[in-house]
Amino acid sequence: MQINLRIPAAIVLLLLSFLSTVMAGAAVDVETPWVREAPPASTVLAAYMVLKNTADTPRTITRIDSPDFRDAQIHRTVVEDGVAKMLPVEQLQLPASGSVTLEPGGLHLMLFDPQRPLRDGDSIILIIHASDGDSITVHAPVVRKTGGHEHSHHH
Amino acid sequence: MSTSQSAPKSAFILKGVIIIILATVAGILSARFFLQRTVVQDELSATRFPVAREVQPFELVDHNNVVFDNAALEQHWSFLFFGYTYCPDVCPTTLSVLNSIAQRLQDVDADIRFVMVTVDPERDTPERLAEYVTYFNGDFLGVTGTDQGLEQLTRQLGILYERVQPEPGSEAYLMDHTAAVFLFDPDGRYHAVFSPPLSVETIAGDFRKMLQAYQ
Repeated sequence: MQINLRIPAAIVLLLLSFLSTVMAGAAVDVETPWVREAPPASTVLAAYMVLKNTADTPRTITRIDSPDFRDAQIHRTVVEDGVAKMLPVEQLQLPASGSVTLEPGGLHLMLFDPQRPLRDGDSIILIIHASDGDSITVHAPVVRKTGGHEHSHHH
Repeated sequence: MSTSQSAPKSAFILKGVIIIILATVAGILSARFFLQRTVVQDELSATRFPVAREVQPFELVDHNNVVFDNAALEQHWSFLFFGYTYCPDVCPTTLSVLNSIAQRLQDVDADIRFVMVTVDPERDTPERLAEYVTYFNGDFLGVTGTDQGLEQLTRQLGILYERVQPEPGSEAYLMDHTAAVFLFDPDGRYHAVFSPPLSVETIAGDFRKMLQAYQ
């Protein structure tokens, strides 16, 4: 009985995520999204991506959520007088036909408390909300990056 | 007469030649020594002290619950980074950079250790640090301790750290912290500091130069 309910629900969710991608896909492209795999004890992770505005008018990203985490916040790492600080970022302004890059040591999506253990090769869901009400759902792979001789990933 | 006079004369010349040769060799050797010691800073992006600084006594504990004090910095080179395990961006990125440096310096004939000292000893227990640092490299060492022990080391290095509350009312907090990497020589002295942005190529290259100058 449970299984019978779960399958249609999964199909609906899949269709919904598809639909939102299609709806907003015309204006914002999300390129190379990825989440850094965290050491075993860690409960805070970071996601990175390139947000590309394909429209010729500016757009604002107000929030990025993930159902795979308790909370998600956009932060910017800045180094002031040699001290690294993380500053909360209220919204991301995408210039007309321009892009904003979330990358290590700079802008990033801070992800608190994963709902399940996340290892290299897993995938998480990110929902990117624009100020006009549009949202984009993307799947981001969890990638192990430790600076060693790791195998290459294709995003 | 002439032979008895020429013998001391030639001995005198020989002595003179030997002295000149010795002085030249000594000159070349000392010039090389001083040039190596002084020229090196111009070729570095790290800040290297003309004379390495003595480290005042401090006492912390490593992730194996072994005392980590001044003696733990001796007999080998040490790269020290000050971070914390609840840090999602800067610390994993820096530890990845340090691991890349470790891989790149594998051919170097020197014992090199990599250490992360936590600026968050309240949450970072030895057990937690052990899991965290060895994830990046099995030879990395995590260090924690008392607030007092941490201050003994950080104050003399000019390291700053501060707790920051991102969500009011939440128990979670972040730490602002000095992002530089500190290098200690086998005499256990503070030798150089690498300021961000940290580059694998630059730090590994600088280390090779400093190692050459040190030997």
